[in-house]
Amino acid sequence: MIRHLFTLIWNRKRSNFLLMAEILLSFFVLFVVSVLLVNNYYNYRQPMGFRSDNVWEFNINAGQDTVARRAKLRLLVQELQATPGVVAITGTSSNTPFSFSTMNTDEYRYQGKPVGGYTDRYDADDDMVKVLGLNVVDGRWFDRRDDAAGRRFPVIINQAFAERMFGNEAAVGKVLTNEKKDEEWHVVGVVEAYRSGSDFAANEPAIFHRKVLQDTSRFVQQQVPELLVRVQPGSGAVLEQQLVRKIKSVTKGWSANVNTLEENRRDKMKFLVTPLAALGLVGLFLIINVALGLFGVLWYNISQRKAEIGLRRALGATGNGISGQFLGEMLVVTTLGVLGGLVLAVQFPLLGVFGVASQIYVQAMVLATVLIFVLTAICALQPSRIAAGIQPAVSLREE
Amino acid sequence: MNSTTAPNNRFASPEIGLTTAPATAMLKLTDIEKVYQTKTIETVALNRVNLTINKGEFVSIMGPSGCGKSTLLSIMGLLDEPSSGQVEIAGRPVTAYSDKELAHLRNQKIGFVFQSYHLINDLSVLDNVELPLLYRSSVSGKERRQRAHAALDKVGLSARTNHFPSQLSGGQRQRVAIARALAGNPELILADEPTGNLDSVMGEEIMDLLMGLNRHDGVTIVMVTHDEQQALKTERVIRFFDGSQVS
Repeated sequence: MIRHLFTLIWNRKRSNFLLMAEILLSFFVLFVVSVLLVNNYYNYRQPMGFRSDNVWEFNINAGQDTVARRAKLRLLVQELQATPGVVAITGTSSNTPFSFSTMNTDEYRYQGKPVGGYTDRYDADDDMVKVLGLNVVDGRWFDRRDDAAGRRFPVIINQAFAERMFGNEAAVGKVLTNEKKDEEWHVVGVVEAYRSGSDFAANEPAIFHRKVLQDTSRFVQQQVPELLVRVQPGSGAVLEQQLVRKIKSVTKGWSANVNTLEENRRDKMKFLVTPLAALGLVGLFLIINVALGLFGVLWYNISQRKAEIGLRRALGATGNGISGQFLGEMLVVTTLGVLGGLVLAVQFPLLGVFGVASQIYVQAMVLATVLIFVLTAICALQPSRIAAGIQPAVSLREE
Repeated sequence: MNSTTAPNNRFASPEIGLTTAPATAMLKLTDIEKVYQTKTIETVALNRVNLTINKGEFVSIMGPSGCGKSTLLSIMGLLDEPSSGQVEIAGRPVTAYSDKELAHLRNQKIGFVFQSYHLINDLSVLDNVELPLLYRSSVSGKERRQRAHAALDKVGLSARTNHFPSQLSGGQRQRVAIARALAGNPELILADEPTGNLDSVMGEEIMDLLMGLNRHDGVTIVMVTHDEQQALKTERVIRFFDGSQVS
């Protein structure tokens, strides 16, 4: 019977061509949406590499006050640190977790070889490991030993960087250079991951440069670093007011905005999910249109083939057999359309269109294939049932 | 269907069929009535028809248009249900047969030839002839081909196997339809005005073919026709008028 269905579809290839083209395009749209969905889901399942709970971000604005910033900052940190409820404080660059700020570069080389692609760069001090609960898997985090590092600056990388740059070799102890070889960085530790962009951020190479918190001269344009403060669980508005008051009293005029990292995380999530949801809705409407189109074509097909249905019933087909045949024909047409779509889809990993892992494309192909088969089967079900209910004597007389 | 007799001997397996039928009657209709009912009108298409077709007979059914000939043929071919009465095929009442059992019976025992051929235009001659065998799971693809070739050979169309129906004349199309009916090796062929769309020469050829099948292969044939000359060539002529059998 399968051979018979293929023969029938092949002999009707002209009338089935548009249907196949429609299925091919639908598959393609589903594939692209699936790549995005699977990729985001895959990223979502990856470890973040840090803990954002009970961490507050203080965005401090020193305004026009340029006098003794370093000393004021040192004092401020001491005062904040001494406040009951505060566990640890770290200063970092503006690309804090879940912020809309990024810093990346492709300058790192090892024995002349680049890491490939861009590396996210972060400024960190010795206490960031405590504040963000970073998971050091090899070597160590920054500490006072790095004060005497000289020109070979200490850096810490994540595993994605280590794997891409050094493969299976140990990363700790390796020395990175820039392209001109006039700067050197000494890898002192490796963290598991640091996906600070969002829950959907890919686990891309990341590197941490040591910046001593109190040394404002080492931050860009003498900016005051962002302060991340880990507080005791359950700390709330009272502690927040205390800390803001201390900032104002110690610095005499600096202001501060406070957000929790969890709030930032939710905001970033909304920002990313909104366009994805919009894209999903557009895709959904497209698929509904395609489904209605398929439904209409099948309905028309059946009304045009009533005599054939009657004949097949006369020759021994059961009602269910007729239903199965129409369903089967639709699945054969779908198979041919999907095969065409797969030929196009395979180009994506070959050309690296979205820059995601090959397995993401494969999973998206499987997902899109399953979805398109389910869609066409649902569309074919009702018309096929109608075909099964056609009375053979009536349909044979109609011609 | 209305019946007081429950079926007691159904097919044991798809290929066994009604091999234990003792009667010589191939087809027996008892008190068959067919009424088409709408909200306002009730039309009696068949009125208490009692008819027996014996094995090996070649019977023609005649009557004016609208007298119920085709309805009768549909009921004989198990394509339609009577409003009341009983249909027996080879001694077995089929009144309460399920859709699956009726389909099986049609496939195994009955061949159909229609006035308008009812060939599938998108299938080759060979594929069209294979169709009834497609619904027999026990027949392999190879055997299907062989039997289809043999049936086409019998109707003199073995040179046209790869042609499509649109490439054939009316007479050739009807030969393909007969070959399709033969491929299933049926005991009964129901022909609904098989020469109705053909000129007299081609009509004669088709009649000769059907008569040959009846005489040499023992196939029981029931033919609906408007042509008196052709009807007279058959063993028995049954005449209908306004849904009733008049002779």
